[in-house]
This record gives sequence, C-alpha cells and structure tokens, in this order.
Amino acid sequence: MKRKTLHMLVFILILSGSIISAADSVKILPYKIYQQKLDNDLNVVTVPFDSPGIAAFYIVVRVGARNEVEKGVTGFAHFFEHMMFRGTDKYPKEKYSAVLKSIGASANANTSQDRTVYHMTGNAGMLELMFEIEADRFRNLHYSEHDFKTEAGAVKGEYTKNNASPYQQSFENVRNTAFDSHTYKHTTMGFLEDIVDMPNQYDYSLEFFKRYYRPEYCTIVVVGDVTPEQVVSLSEKYFGSWERGNYESTVPVEPKQTETKYTHLQNGSIPAYLSLNYKGPAFNDSEIDMPALDVLSSLLFSQTSELYKKLVLEEKKVRFVGGGALDSRDPNLFSIQASLINVSDLQYVKDEIVKAIENVKSNGVEVESLNKTKSHLKYGFAMNIDTPDNIANSLSHYIQLTGNPESLNILYGLYDKVTVDDVVRVAKQYLVPEGLTIATISELEIGGVK
Amino acid sequence: MKKIILILLIAGSILAQEIVELKLPSSNKVVIDLRFQNGSISDPAGKEGLTYFTANLVTQGGTDKMSFSEIQDFIYPMAASYYVNVDKEVTTFSFAVHVDFLDQFSPIIMDLMLHPSFNENDFQRVKTNQQNYVDQVIRASSDEEYSKMALEDLLFRGSNYQHMKQGMSESVNSITLEDVKSHYKNFFTKNNLMIGIAGNYSDDFLTKLKSGLGKLSDVKPVIPKPGKALTPDGLQFEIIQKDNAFGSAIFAGFPLNITREDDDFAAMVVANSYLGEHRKSYSKLYKLLRETRSMNYGDYSYIEWYDNGGGNMLPPSGTPRSSNYFAIWIRPVQIAKQLTQQYEELKDLEVGHAHFAFRMALMEIDRLIKDGLTEEEFEATRDFLLSYTKLYAQSPSSRLGYLMDSRFYGRQDYISELDGLLKKLTLNDVNNAIKKYWQTENMFVTIITDKSEAGPLAASIKENKPSPMSYSNLVKEGLPEDVLKEDEAAANMKLNVKKVEIINSADTFKKEEKKVDL
Repeated sequence: MKRKTLHMLVFILILSGSIISAADSVKILPYKIYQQKLDNDLNVVTVPFDSPGIAAFYIVVRVGARNEVEKGVTGFAHFFEHMMFRGTDKYPKEKYSAVLKSIGASANANTSQDRTVYHMTGNAGMLELMFEIEADRFRNLHYSEHDFKTEAGAVKGEYTKNNASPYQQSFENVRNTAFDSHTYKHTTMGFLEDIVDMPNQYDYSLEFFKRYYRPEYCTIVVVGDVTPEQVVSLSEKYFGSWERGNYESTVPVEPKQTETKYTHLQNGSIPAYLSLNYKGPAFNDSEIDMPALDVLSSLLFSQTSELYKKLVLEEKKVRFVGGGALDSRDPNLFSIQASLINVSDLQYVKDEIVKAIENVKSNGVEVESLNKTKSHLKYGFAMNIDTPDNIANSLSHYIQLTGNPESLNILYGLYDKVTVDDVVRVAKQYLVPEGLTIATISELEIGGVK
Repeated sequence: MKKIILILLIAGSILAQEIVELKLPSSNKVVIDLRFQNGSISDPAGKEGLTYFTANLVTQGGTDKMSFSEIQDFIYPMAASYYVNVDKEVTTFSFAVHVDFLDQFSPIIMDLMLHPSFNENDFQRVKTNQQNYVDQVIRASSDEEYSKMALEDLLFRGSNYQHMKQGMSESVNSITLEDVKSHYKNFFTKNNLMIGIAGNYSDDFLTKLKSGLGKLSDVKPVIPKPGKALTPDGLQFEIIQKDNAFGSAIFAGFPLNITREDDDFAAMVVANSYLGEHRKSYSKLYKLLRETRSMNYGDYSYIEWYDNGGGNMLPPSGTPRSSNYFAIWIRPVQIAKQLTQQYEELKDLEVGHAHFAFRMALMEIDRLIKDGLTEEEFEATRDFLLSYTKLYAQSPSSRLGYLMDSRFYGRQDYISELDGLLKKLTLNDVNNAIKKYWQTENMFVTIITDKSEAGPLAASIKENKPSPMSYSNLVKEGLPEDVLKEDEAAANMKLNVKKVEIINSADTFKKEEKKVDL
C-alpha cells in the first residue's frame, strides 16, 4: 500500500472513531483489542504484540458440528475444513501449496462443535500475501468432484487414528447418549457411517460453502508485529467486497433430560474409567453461571481439592480425577472423569464424587478457597499469553462463543464477582441426577454403576 | 566442541553448572529449567525406568518441610507450575511462576531439588501410574505412539537407548524406594547440572539460585556411553497384532549418524522438509499418500527425535540426543476388515493398504536418492525453512529450551546458526547428503494392526507379493493415468525383505518377545 493512502486511512479511522480501543488496565488481557466490523459484517480484530517479525493470522468461522442439522451429514464442518486446502482457480491445489510453503508459516486449521479456525503464524512481512491467499480461498474455493471424494479418505484416516483410543470411543458414546435432538449428539468427526458416505455429498458441500463461508460468519484475528490500521486496510482490500450471505441454521433444542442415562464400553485394555456428564448451561458472558461452574470445578477437582486428596493421594483408588464445563454456544455438558486403579471401585468413586458435589450444595465453600481459585484462574491465564498464537487462540475461543473477543475480558471480570451463593446455586441447578449421563469403560460386560 | 563434551561425558567428569540466561525484562514471569545431563540411558540393567521414576517422584512428591499436598495448596493461588521431562540423555525440571510470586516460589524449587521427601506413600502412587503406563497405556491409547516406541525397541536393541524412558513391566515392578534415593544422589548432582533461566528476574536472584543449587549432591555421575542405532540386514518387519485395531499404524527407520552438531545437518533439514516436513501438506509423502490417494491422515519423515508428534505442530525442545535415526511415520491406513465392510467393490479384499503405503514411501525415497531435488524445489524448501525455523522458539520457555539444547550439540544458538548454514547451502550439498545418508535397503519397520490383518499382511510382505492399491470406486474413477501408473510401479516394487515377524501386543517390550507363527 502506498504510504499516502495508509496515512489517509489512519486519519479517517481516527476521525470516525471506528477502531475501538478496548484498553483497560484492569482487563485480564494486558494488550489492546482493536475491533472493527466491515460493511459486509466481517469482524476484524487486531492485537499488536511485541513479537518482532512474527504475526499470527487467524480466521474464525462460526460454523462447526453444531450446524450439522441435516441427517447424514454429521462431520461435515470438519470435512469442509479439509476441502479448504484444495485450491481455487487462481491458486489451484499445487500452486496453493507452493504459495503456502513460500510464506514459511505454521499453518493449519481445526474444527470443533461451534467453530472452524484457520490459522497461519509466520513472518509478519508476509501479512499481505497471507491475506491474499486466505481471501482467495474463502471467496473463490473451487475443487473438483474427484478431489472432494479423495479428501474424504483423509477424514476417514483421521477417524481411524483417533479411534485407537477407548477414551475417544467412550466420548462418542457419551454424546450419542446424553443428547437426543441437539447436534451436540455427534462429535466433530461425525458418525462413522456418515464419514464413509462423505464422497457422495459433493453437491451438499457446494451448498455448505455458500451458506457458511460468508463474512457474517467470520472474524479475522491478527496478533503480533502489526498495526490495526494495516490489518483493517488489508481486510478492506481483500475481503471488503466479499458478499454477505443470509443463511441461518436452526439447531434443534435439546429437550429437558428427566433421568440418569448410562453408556458402557467393554474394553479391558485400559484402567477402569468413569465419567459423569451433567447437562450444563450455554456460555453467556452476561450471566454468572458459567464462571461459577468454572470456579466450582476447580474447587471440586483440582489437585488441592478434598476429593483429589482423598481419592488420589490418600486412598490411592484413583489415578486421576478432573472435570469442568464445556464452553459452547448451546447448553452442553459439565463432565467429570476419573481413571481408577481397580474396577471394583467404580461405584465407590462415583458415590464419592457425588458426595463432594452434595457437600457443596449443603455446606457451601470457604470464602478463602473461593478467592484462591479466582487468583489461580487469573494468574494461570496471565502467564500463558506469551506468544501471538496463544493470544489469538484465546481470543478465537471467545469469538466462537459470542462473536466478541472482549468476552475474554468480560469473563475474567465475572470471575471476580462469583460468590459462595453462586457456586452453591449452580451446583444445585446443574449437577443433578436427572441431568446426568454416566459412562464407564471396563473389562466387564456391563458398567454396573448406579 | 561437542566432541570434547562427549569425551568428558563418557569419562564421567562432567562440567559443573553451566548457565543459560535469557533476560526478558518486560515479561510477567520467570521460567527456570534445571537440566541434568542424565536420562534413561543411565537406568541400571533390570531397573529400566528408574531415571523417569526418580524425576517424577521429585515433582509428584513432597519435601522435608511440606507434603506434596501442602505444596500444591501453597502454589495454587499463584498458578505456579512445575513438571519434569525425562528423555534418553537429559532430564529437565521446569518451573514457571508469575513475577509477583517469585520470592515465595523459589524456596519450593530449592526444597524440591535439595530435599525431596522420597516417602513410601508418594512412591507407591508414582509407581502404580508408571506401571500402568508400561503395562497398558502405551498399548491402548495411540497406535501411532506405540509403533514409534516399538521401532526404537528394534533400532536400539541391546543398548541403553532401547527401552522406553518409562521402562518395562518387570523393571518398573522391581524399582524400590532405595533405588530412587540412590539414583537421585548419584545422577542428579551439581556436577551434571545446567541451569536455564528466562524472563523477568534479577542478577541477585540468579546468584542465589546458583548458590542454592550448589548444595546438590557432589557425586560425579558416571553416565554411560549412549547406545547407537543398529543397521538391520535388509528390511525387517515387526507386525504387532491387537484386538479391534481400526487401521495399520506404521513407523520405519534406520541409523543416521549426524546431529545438529554437524554442519551437514542443515542439508538434511532441507532434504527432510522436502520429503516429509512434520504436519505440512506441501511435503512429498503427504502429497503422495494422503492428498493424491486418500490413504490416511498424514505422512511425514524425521531426521531426529520429534517428541509427541501427534500433539505438537512445531518441534519442542528438551530432547537433545546424540544417537539419531531417520524415520518415516505413516499414520494409520485402512485394513481389509474395514474396507470390505465399507465398500461392496472391495468385499473380497484380503490385505489393506499398509503394504502399498510403505512401498510408495520407499519408492519416493529411492527417487530422491537417484534424482535429488530440483533447483526450484531446493530454493522453495530452503526459503520456507529460513522463515519457519524462527517459529520454533517463540515463548520464553521454548526459547530457553532451544538455547539449552544448543549447548548439548556444542552450539550457542542452534536456530540462528542453522539460519547461517541454510543460507550457505547449495543444491549439490543437499543432493549429496541425500545420497550419503539415505537408503531403502536396510530398515526396521513396525506396524501396529488388527489381528485379522496381521497374518495376510505379513504374508504379502514376506513373499514380496504385488500390493495393488485398493481404492473405492468413487475415488478410482477420477484418478489420472499418471497416478495409476505410479501405483502400478509401487505395487510391484521389490523390497529387500529379510525378516517378517508377528508378535502379540501383550508381548512387546519384553526381553524375550514371543513370536507368532506366520
């Protein structure tokens, strides 16, 4: 870009105040988040960070397994992420690979329930080229039907490698059992029968691209040795004329669960395993529920918890116990996992976990413990934001949930406000038997945990 | 420089307390890495896993003043953390704390290192977890990691590099608390310690740290000479069969007698990146097997140890090794049992894709040895690396780790020195290095697969049968002629197969492995 043009742009932005500085000394993220929405609703987020010569360039698309509402297409958001590497008319597959290589970046993508993230971290001097090739594929993706069918094999390969783990198999069972209607019923990988059928879904893939790879679903996040003016200017240049879409998927609402559900995997190749999965809330940065559950899970299951000390350190009946709520756009699971020494202790361990939860409901928690947990959460985060990637990842997490990176700062603000009453209330509200799905893995034919 | 260090190591008189500093005044934290030039290679025979056990009992145990639990309670509000990473030749204790709490946390560091409690209670807990890892976890969590460990078990057979750092079933079982105490005293001493520190700390703090750690045991450790990888006679396959495996996970390798110490290594970095850069879609193996043929999730190659390849996108620090090997990682490919169920046109298939995939990988290496890279491929790969390698060390902790690893190889700063070496390279350097260091005649190969696949696969490999790629019709109908031609060449490639064995998963990592009759 010519210098004069850049100066003009900066001037206009300052005048209009359209780059919003969110600097605030009490915010958990000690760096300013600059955020601007383009006319086509593409959100552009910049965080200048002291990483000489390096920038992380992320695009968060708010589409994931959650959007797979039609029958037979579970796993499609993830599959589509693979297809995004298959080229365009301007940069066919080979040329795209060559350009990507020339950037010298660490580049990849991943998909989860609520979003797909494309990321490239590398030479900040190559930022314009990063913008160019990302905009090209987001706007002009074009692959052959043969390439589409071929890529489906890579997805099956991914499923194959993951499936080696009994924990992954159990995780699939938990989702399938805990949910009846909502798309959280399937994992991001999807059901195997749908994965095998993927090569037949070429037409649906074109529809999928048309629906979701649109500016209103996307946020660009750039962190590192960059300026917000530079990032906004490049966004305008490469994404400014990208046409907005109008599709919204209707995700089925999960009916209220009324009784405990069970799923068991007979597999003696790993230690006996127990997981308790309660229906929890959706993430919401204007309510205290999720922060309170985060605090509660830390109080109940961290290495300093009474439960951990008893089961792991003193009685040595459990190798590991942990748990917490999943941040997601719709109500999801609060999951607790325990790996046991002896299969005969499955019921005992379940009872002890429930006893610890009931104890919070009846007796609350100590204020001192609550404050220590808040401190732990804040210092833990503060120490981890030491690379452009770590910051971009953290922001992406909250962008997928609310569309707003400031949710990160808001959430940590809410942690400060969590009270003992909040913790007791969320335990009573969410950690109840009628919302529970119990999963077990053991050598036995049946799980046997009540 | 490196050679001198090696000689000193072998002789047992190890340099005392080398310091690696990385001052970052604007950082909000301090990272301290205490690295002992001692890893699983110094496990006594019959006590394999002892170094790992000892180091873990330090981090999972208490001190003379506080129990493990009390330490956790104390550091919890600070979110301070510590862990240990044990490898073949080094063991690194890593501590991280926010600057607000450095003074409160440092006595904990000192007590853990100088006065670990090593009590029976913590000992039993650590033991059961380590025992569980060697008995079950390694065989049941990731077939990819399993095949990698099984490959090292073959490559380094009979040497101190053979066993997993966690040890083996019988050896872990035999470890006693007395073993741990004595191992700590003899191998974690002030005479084989390198102190690394990064972040926002004062000179005064470092002085105190050095002086405190000067109180570690004064024993001069006798570290054995690191074992070297064996060159097999021909291609030797070990097929490990288990129940309900969903695919065939493959690792293959042969010795590579250079490391980061050697300037020639830069040429191999380029060659390897071209062939199989970790998790990169533009490398050859990935393009051939995954992108073109839809066979699996990814295919890569390595010229040095790469820790936790399934989890790391960029190579982590902390595992410097003097015994290298070249490795090919073919992520799980489909087996006949699955393919016959999924596609009507493959219902009579007897062997899945492993044999073909391996041949295809070897064919590409053969081609590279014969033809080398083109000037354009060389320039593109070198340019990529000149930028990409800068990403290895971004955080204070990874920067520090890479600097400490550099010292192991007799370098000051490997990443910046590699930059200089890459810039000086020519195409001839790379192609000559490929010819010098790579071959496809002698290699160990490990394949983790399903019981139903093991027998037919072993027979196919042993008899050098043609292994035509079995595509589903959906993929096959669109494949271009050149791909099919390449397939035919790969399917009929004669391999220098000298040995094919099947063993049961339960019998791996044992002194006497029981072979299953073919």
